[in-house]
Amino acid sequence: MFEIGGKMLKSRLFVGTGKLPDYSLIEKMYYEAGIEVFAVAVRRIGPNTKHIKNVLEYIPKDATIMVNTSGAQDHKEAVKIAMIGRELTNSDWVKVEIEKDTKYLFPDNYETLKTCEILVKEGFKVFPYIYPDLNIAKELEQIGVEAVMPLGSPIGTNKGIGCEVLLKPIINEVKIPVIIDAGIGRPSHAAQAMEMGADAVLINTAIATSADPLKMAIAFAKAVEAGRLAFEVGILKEYEYAQASSPLEDFISG
Amino acid sequence: MLIRVNDKEMEFCGNILDLVLSLNLNPKTCAVLVNGEIVKKNDWESFVLKDGDYVEIVSFVGGG
Repeated sequence: MFEIGGKMLKSRLFVGTGKLPDYSLIEKMYYEAGIEVFAVAVRRIGPNTKHIKNVLEYIPKDATIMVNTSGAQDHKEAVKIAMIGRELTNSDWVKVEIEKDTKYLFPDNYETLKTCEILVKEGFKVFPYIYPDLNIAKELEQIGVEAVMPLGSPIGTNKGIGCEVLLKPIINEVKIPVIIDAGIGRPSHAAQAMEMGADAVLINTAIATSADPLKMAIAFAKAVEAGRLAFEVGILKEYEYAQASSPLEDFISG
Repeated sequence: MLIRVNDKEMEFCGNILDLVLSLNLNPKTCAVLVNGEIVKKNDWESFVLKDGDYVEIVSFVGGG
């Protein structure tokens, strides 16, 4: 169990629900892969839109909903989306996500910081998605966010932990939880993030677009658990030359 | 009377709850903004739409 956002959770794997072929997979992931936190987005519904199904109807009632502010271009839009999210879900967990650049979808740390300052004051449990910058992470910690969510590599690229040298300092220096979000493409990448000392990971594309999202969610859940156990024990140091596992004396000579 | 709903012009007379129901949307799972401001659900029945109002109806979809 670990504590985050005022809750005690068993699973350190958070899952985004975008691109899923069928929302009924959410309930299966909750029961069969033990996923407790699901990210969702706010979009227009009804006339002139392609969205007809409401994802909330598919999320088990004991699961935690994390509303993201994707689509927001600045802090004003992000705050508005967060307010809508809280009004409709009764969940005060909000993932602040502001992307102006559409090619790499890198988060705008400056607008994100402004949004978080407002939302923390409004009583939200705030989870900012950030470009991995230790200075911003520390400022966010100061203003009272619940966790920071630095990216592993650009969203949906499946490239894994592309910036370990930037992530490690954040993991080492901030005291709030660090959730590696975006770019993780394989269970082994998730295990790597956890071995580094991340508190959790958020996966969307790698699960949702796989041939079998439920099986892949289970694979990620196991990888996250394995990586975390290894981190808790302590990763051993590397050596230049072989270190024999079997004793190097009393060999048979016959 | 002409209003705009999600960028689509439509003829409509009535309050917000009437509008949501007429579009076959579930009032429990959507939120409504009129001219950029969120209207609380408790006020939907008393909030009568005016000519030229810009309405956005939002809900939740899969997201990461």
